[in-house]
Amino acid sequence: MAASNKAVLGILWSRFAWRHWRISPISSVLLLLILAIGVAAFVSIRLANRAAVASFQNFSDLITSGSDGIIMAPAGALSELVLTELRQLLGPEPVNLVAVVETSAVPPRRDEDETIGSRPVFQLLGLDLPALVNLSGQQTNGRGWLGTATSRGTDGSRKEFTEVLRNPLAVFISEALARRDQLQIDSPLPLVINEHAVELRVAGIIPTDPSQPAVPPHLLIMDLPALQRLTDKTGQLDRIELLLEAGPRRAQQWALIRKKLEAASSSRSGRWLLSTPADRRAAASTMTQAFRLNLDILSLLALLVGLYLVFQGLEGAVVRRRSEIAVLRSLGVTSRQVQGAWLVEAAAIGLAGGLIGLVLGWLGAQFAVRMVARTVNTLYYASSVDSAAFSFGEAIVALIVAITAATVAGWRPARVAANTPPAQIALRTGAATYPGGQWLRRPGLGLTLIVLGGLLASLPPLRLAGGGRLPLAAYAAGLCWIFGAGIFAGNVLAWLGRLFARFRIDSVGLRLAGSHLRAPSGRHRLAVAALVCAVGMTAGMAILVGSFETTMRGWISRTFQADLYISSDGAQSASSTSRISPATWKNVVTNPAVERANVIQVTEINLGGVTTLLMGSQLAFFRDYARPAWLSPPLHEDVFDPERNAGLALVSEAFSERFRVHRGDRMQVPTPIGPRSLTIAGVFADYGNERGSLLIERQLFSDWLGNELASSLILALKPGANAERLRAELRAAYPGLGVFTSSYLRDEALRIFRQTFTVTYALELIGIIVAVAGLVFTMASLLWERRGDLATLRSLGLRRKELAGAAAWEGALTAAAGLLTGLAVSLALGWLLIYRINKQTFGWTLQTDWPVRQLSVLALLVLASATMAAWFVGGWATRLPADREE
Amino acid sequence: MFDLYQWVTQGPGMAKQRSKISSMNQENAATNLSATPLVLAASDVTKAYANRPVLRGVSLELRAGERLALTGPSGSGKSTLLNCLGGVDRPDSGSIRFKDISLESLDADGLTEVRRRDIGTIFQFFHLLPTLTASENVELPLQLNGIASTIRAERVRALLDRVGLADRAGAFPDQLSGGEMQRVAIARALAHKPSVLLADEPTGNLDTRNGAIILELLRELSDETGIALILVTHSGAAAQICHREIHLLDGKIGGERARD
Repeated sequence: MAASNKAVLGILWSRFAWRHWRISPISSVLLLLILAIGVAAFVSIRLANRAAVASFQNFSDLITSGSDGIIMAPAGALSELVLTELRQLLGPEPVNLVAVVETSAVPPRRDEDETIGSRPVFQLLGLDLPALVNLSGQQTNGRGWLGTATSRGTDGSRKEFTEVLRNPLAVFISEALARRDQLQIDSPLPLVINEHAVELRVAGIIPTDPSQPAVPPHLLIMDLPALQRLTDKTGQLDRIELLLEAGPRRAQQWALIRKKLEAASSSRSGRWLLSTPADRRAAASTMTQAFRLNLDILSLLALLVGLYLVFQGLEGAVVRRRSEIAVLRSLGVTSRQVQGAWLVEAAAIGLAGGLIGLVLGWLGAQFAVRMVARTVNTLYYASSVDSAAFSFGEAIVALIVAITAATVAGWRPARVAANTPPAQIALRTGAATYPGGQWLRRPGLGLTLIVLGGLLASLPPLRLAGGGRLPLAAYAAGLCWIFGAGIFAGNVLAWLGRLFARFRIDSVGLRLAGSHLRAPSGRHRLAVAALVCAVGMTAGMAILVGSFETTMRGWISRTFQADLYISSDGAQSASSTSRISPATWKNVVTNPAVERANVIQVTEINLGGVTTLLMGSQLAFFRDYARPAWLSPPLHEDVFDPERNAGLALVSEAFSERFRVHRGDRMQVPTPIGPRSLTIAGVFADYGNERGSLLIERQLFSDWLGNELASSLILALKPGANAERLRAELRAAYPGLGVFTSSYLRDEALRIFRQTFTVTYALELIGIIVAVAGLVFTMASLLWERRGDLATLRSLGLRRKELAGAAAWEGALTAAAGLLTGLAVSLALGWLLIYRINKQTFGWTLQTDWPVRQLSVLALLVLASATMAAWFVGGWATRLPADREE
Repeated sequence: MFDLYQWVTQGPGMAKQRSKISSMNQENAATNLSATPLVLAASDVTKAYANRPVLRGVSLELRAGERLALTGPSGSGKSTLLNCLGGVDRPDSGSIRFKDISLESLDADGLTEVRRRDIGTIFQFFHLLPTLTASENVELPLQLNGIASTIRAERVRALLDRVGLADRAGAFPDQLSGGEMQRVAIARALAHKPSVLLADEPTGNLDTRNGAIILELLRELSDETGIALILVTHSGAAAQICHREIHLLDGKIGGERARD
């Protein structure tokens, strides 16, 4: 009875594949490490993304874990009157209403010259605590309500809790924060809330409940009226949570209540929106979906280059083990079993590389998480994570990606191996010396891929829920171009080889190198293709980032034309909800040194389920001092005249792309006083956020939203007024205000921009390291195969140094071919990234810029490292015995 | 004389048949071969490569226990015929029967199965697997045939002992001499008790002394086991160990004679 397929595969693995790996430990470890680096980049970004989103979700879960529904205003805040309205509407329904006010806050600045975003951001929640305590049946376990009894030596009774709340500055903190900042009950906690610098008092340390999500360190809880006062939101709420009482008919009751609330909402012209905690979590996730997907895809760069090397390693192994496979075929191993064995080997490489990559990825995630959180914080919502937890689910995803990718990379070599005839035939037909990389010798295939890429590049993006867009076809186009150019690069290498062979060159090293490259092996071609992939993607990204920076510089220098920019000192990012009270900003703008002032009000609004920003601004000031770059300029000046611009709005390009609206279109905007109609008068370029901005005259905003809380002020000073002096004056008068000069803000904006791209630079660097490592791998394999020739050359009188020199030339020429083609591909990829991927994802038009200096540095770096690495490998190869590996 | 196959546990039918062949060999194999079963029969086999005919209507038969030498000048089609008989290549026309199986009726996996189960092969360049020790090389066909590990171990030991390499069982191919490598290859070819042993110039890469040792070994093992042997050779000395010699010329049988 013949052995089963499984048994044969077992034999082939243990007796052949595994032994080959053990015989060549250095190349085996190198290959695994290369794959592991690729997987690590992927894992670290995934874990970091997960942590950034989870920080929001955990926070949300903690607050809303018991709630069944959330009532929010479609724009701005809810009036407290809605509470009464809801109570009347719901009558005897067994539902509790929990009013919530939410704001962000930061510790006061310690250093006048600190950078924006350097202080931790806290989320402050205002809850009706006495009502919650009455509602809750929780036992205090001797720690009192919300941990009020801890270290106070009292019983923490309800009465005492009510006493604690008499202090308007009482704040409840998490155990994590208490531990981290060594805070106790009655410890002071100084914070900037709106423009007020206040010193809160720790009234309780919320005990950790093992059955609930852990309270994050950046969450603080205050009594509702106290926080309403501090945030100038008296009489206003950010949301109302609905908590159904426990009972057997909970689901049916909720369905009924939901129906009732939705009907009431539409009869009241959409005065509120009903959602669930799940909707809120999903909204946070979809808000960052495109950003996270883009990072995920970028993180696959290193894995993609790594896969070239897995392919290369396996095909090289087919070449080396060809005669062995032929003998196995003679002995009765079927072609299917040979193919299976190679696929098992590829999968094993994927598994081993994936496992190492998981460990490296987890370590990398601890660094990446800060960068990702910073970007999420800048562009989307407050996220203050500083470590990424290991996730079993992400580990499984990474292993599946690694194994699948390695198996896909191993598929072709497995086919080649399976087609090896038995030894008798292989010897006669010369098939025992399979050269490898046959598919790389088909320029027609390369051309087809490039044309296909061109067609894909013209397709529109995939529209995601929540207004996100994913340029899937554009990514596929990029892949087609990279692979197509990779195939062509082999011809460039041959051309370079022939060029050098044609000249009368005295250098033996160069002659030898040229002779090998005239008809490059499959291995050479594959190494060049991997370099094209890495260089093309890295240089393409450099072009995108360079263009982005040039565009940003232009935008920043145009936008920051006024003299002073003022916001709450607690505003650390675009996600900040800190505001300036009308009393304060009115005092500031009437300062005798001020010639003109722009008061900017901002609120989130919900347009058809998609969140965007509604902004109020003096539009004439915006025109004069922000000098917007118009994509569709207003056709007349009405929009800038407060007397005539009541129904007009300007929108950012991202808004126009996201909601597919253009100049002249009319749209309905929800407001607390019912929907209002606006006509779009113009579309301007804006790189501040990707959610889009809808800009109206401030007075109109204030009328609609019913408040005058400003998010920032912009001051143009009278001629001769000293901006620095006024800045110092305002800082002294209002310690809770951040006052910045335009030059400071320009520098900060550029710094934040560069910080946002830090993760991109890191991923690019990894891609290049992997590609150069791949070239080293190739050179080592090629020289090992040629060790007999090297011995002959030594016997002919070549010195070791000359042989190492020949290897260095070979490495340099190979890298040069990869660079030439890679840089050519990068031009196409740069175009694709700027005009398709970036435009389709963020809706931003960029001005193309070719960062010549950066590309030159990249080229020199690759060329020098490849040459040096090949020189070292050449030196190593000359010491190899003629008949033994490693 | 030591009977290798008797020594190893096996199915009663096969054991009986091999025992019968073995005893016949001991009496006078050459004169009684016509009584043994037919294992291989080729009829009117043709084969061409790139429109160049290599085999032009070759027919032959091979019986259990018989040793057949295929001789002829280079390019006469010896190796091609051997490959067709061994199921690694397919004739363009004609038929080949292996026992009661028509090889034309089998697909690639079927041919592989026949090769795995019933055919042993020896190459001019030995083709030992470099990552396996001598004993592991011999063990491989047994593993492929699903033989239990205890039986495998005994059989490998016996075979290496028989070819005189018991003390070299743990050596890798690059630690063996040419003669030793070919002896390991012979042990490997016999390990799974094939019905037919195909040897393509088994002494072509050995010196005279080692060549003679290998030929003697092949003769003895063939006698002991009753295996049929086809020996492709240029060497007259090699042909002498066979019962019959077929001379190929330009892809056709140019002559055939029985040997003493």
